Amino acid sequence: MVRIQLTEDSQKLSREIQALTGENVNLCYQCRKCSVGCPAAYEMSLKPHEMMRALQLGLAEEVFHSGTIWMCLSCETCNTRCPQDIDIVRVIDGLRELVMSGRVDYFNPYPEIPAMHRLFLKLVERYGRIYEMGLAFIMNLKMVDPFKDIDMAWPMLTKGRLKLMPHMSGGVKELRRVVSKIRELEGES
Amino acid sequence: MRYAYFPGCSLSASAQDYDMSFRWVCRYLGIELQEVRDWVCCGASSAHATSHLLSVAIPAISLSHAEQDGFDRLVAPCLACLSRMKAANERFETDRALRKKINEVLEGGYRGTVKVFHPLEVLLNDVGVDSLGEKVAKRLPGLRVACYYGCALTRPPKVCRFDTPEYPMSMDGILRSVGLETLDWAYKTECCGVSMTLTRADVVVHLSHKIVRAAKEVGADVIAVCCPLCQANLDTRQGQIAEQYGERFDIPVLYFTQLLGIVYGAYSGELGLRRLIVSPQRALENYGIL
Repeated sequence: MVRIQLTEDSQKLSREIQALTGENVNLCYQCRKCSVGCPAAYEMSLKPHEMMRALQLGLAEEVFHSGTIWMCLSCETCNTRCPQDIDIVRVIDGLRELVMSGRVDYFNPYPEIPAMHRLFLKLVERYGRIYEMGLAFIMNLKMVDPFKDIDMAWPMLTKGRLKLMPHMSGGVKELRRVVSKIRELEGES
Repeated sequence: MRYAYFPGCSLSASAQDYDMSFRWVCRYLGIELQEVRDWVCCGASSAHATSHLLSVAIPAISLSHAEQDGFDRLVAPCLACLSRMKAANERFETDRALRKKINEVLEGGYRGTVKVFHPLEVLLNDVGVDSLGEKVAKRLPGLRVACYYGCALTRPPKVCRFDTPEYPMSMDGILRSVGLETLDWAYKTECCGVSMTLTRADVVVHLSHKIVRAAKEVGADVIAVCCPLCQANLDTRQGQIAEQYGERFDIPVLYFTQLLGIVYGAYSGELGLRRLIVSPQRALENYGIL
């Protein structure tokens, strides 16, 4: 059996999460309610309660390599049921933020999911609103699966549910200014 | 009763039937809606997966427009928009440092005075079940409805402050008040997986299959929903569900506002019923609709 030594270094990640999100992962006592209720747990190699334990032990590599943070659907079931009132989704968002801002760099088994978030925000910045058709089409190209969900496209089109052209919001310029100011703020800290 | 109305991206594109039927029901019940000036996307899951600050600042832009135009109440029918806006308000209330930061970047600032509601809350608070029942023009006896609430109407309860998180009854109460039969079932708040619709369709089909099957098993003729993202998954993916699991359900998925429009006597064209992928024709033909 491998013996895990808790050191100052192994507390680094949990301290960083606490600074970023205000959540203390050490409150978790492994009741497993989060994993039992999680609709995506069947696809996770590291279940939510195991991820919490790994965070307590400072096993950053295990946490990020599992891709659990990208498999999470943010459905908030775990948060609603946690007897310790830990905001697990906020912890996961904090971990995602570390990846998205480039502060950590680990292997990710699901690179398409952060890529989708980046594309989503890029389109929001361009139009002020989400351009559903464009998002789906570019995402399919990125995943080298151009005909993904093509079976849904024809009925959607004939029922008038696909809007082919994007719509520009009147608030887009203000949104761009706000986003760039936030990037400046975050670059400083 | 006057509300700032935040339709959001889905109701402006793929879910125009939700927009049409919600506006129709509001006109019928005397609720006045005014679209938020120059509203922008709420940022959805992508903003909160990227930056906490961004996830509060983006919805705060539209909230600040409503505030500047004199509104203290806003209604958002999409659960992604609703939860992002409620979460932004909650952070504004509880985190002074964050509030200060956001007000530094927001043009014109935001004081946090705009309360955010879902249409279900508006109907319950401002009209009430007794009045809702008095205005019925058409009865649909025998139609059995499974109310599906999704994740973000009630979760997390600290932010949503509406209904009960594990077994909500608000939509059941509203539809029962207009004479519809709603069913007791266990999948009211199970997640449909929408945030992975573009990246992991297999997860979405797996989760939607469980929900649609459960509704069928309790004998539902239709599923009623209150979110465009839930609707899109449960309705448009039934073909893929049949292909993958060999079970064809053909169960129509209607917005609760479309069901209200029907009992209040709207024409199907006014409610956008032909936009549904699984046609509600068979379920509704006995009642002379469609």
